[in-house]
Amino acid sequence: MAAFEYRQAEELREAFARAGARYLFLGKSGAILLGFPDTTQDVDVFPHRSPENGRAIVAALRDLGFALTETQVEEIVRGKDFVQLRNGPFDLDLVFAPDGIESFAAAWERHVDVAGFPVCHPDDIIASKEAARRAKDRESLPRLIAFRDYWRRTR
Amino acid sequence: MTDRQERAAWEADFEASMRRPLAQRMRYAFIHTYKPVLDDAPYRSFDSMADYRAWCEANLPSWLGYGRV
Repeated sequence: MAAFEYRQAEELREAFARAGARYLFLGKSGAILLGFPDTTQDVDVFPHRSPENGRAIVAALRDLGFALTETQVEEIVRGKDFVQLRNGPFDLDLVFAPDGIESFAAAWERHVDVAGFPVCHPDDIIASKEAARRAKDRESLPRLIAFRDYWRRTR
Repeated sequence: MTDRQERAAWEADFEASMRRPLAQRMRYAFIHTYKPVLDDAPYRSFDSMADYRAWCEANLPSWLGYGRV
């Protein structure tokens, strides 16, 4: 598996748009879209949880080349809290219930558009990482918070 | 390096990053290395984030950093 490329991000954006899927980029991949200079391996997407949107997500994933079984399709349509996909052209995590964010609607209200990519507000990215309390986030959080402050000042 | 110096270095990084086109930022940012256990299954799903966190703590090497602090 190679690293996620900009071309694939564009394909994701276009496939999700064609399917009418509602989602936000989350996590460090979202922060990177906003301009945060760091590295990551994961692409984290926060989809709106509804059967209709789940079916749209499935259609987009299949369009992108993810090989999904019927059981996996059912789980995505149902919106299980966390789905990790390693069966497509890039690694993708679907986070239907991210820690620290009250709802998709609330996150959508304050989301940021970056070249057509819908991205969680940096406050939500930070909130989710703070709530997750993972060791790997502890080191990067102070720098991410500093970036949020810089981003606010300069946008 | 003092906190103030570290903060200034970060700000310089942020400014440089924001000057780069998005495609270039992403080329610099997304990397891929093999993560043991985590990358060994094509699909996993969890009913709750608590289940996912518990699975990470029980199954992943601690040095990957997915454990809670």
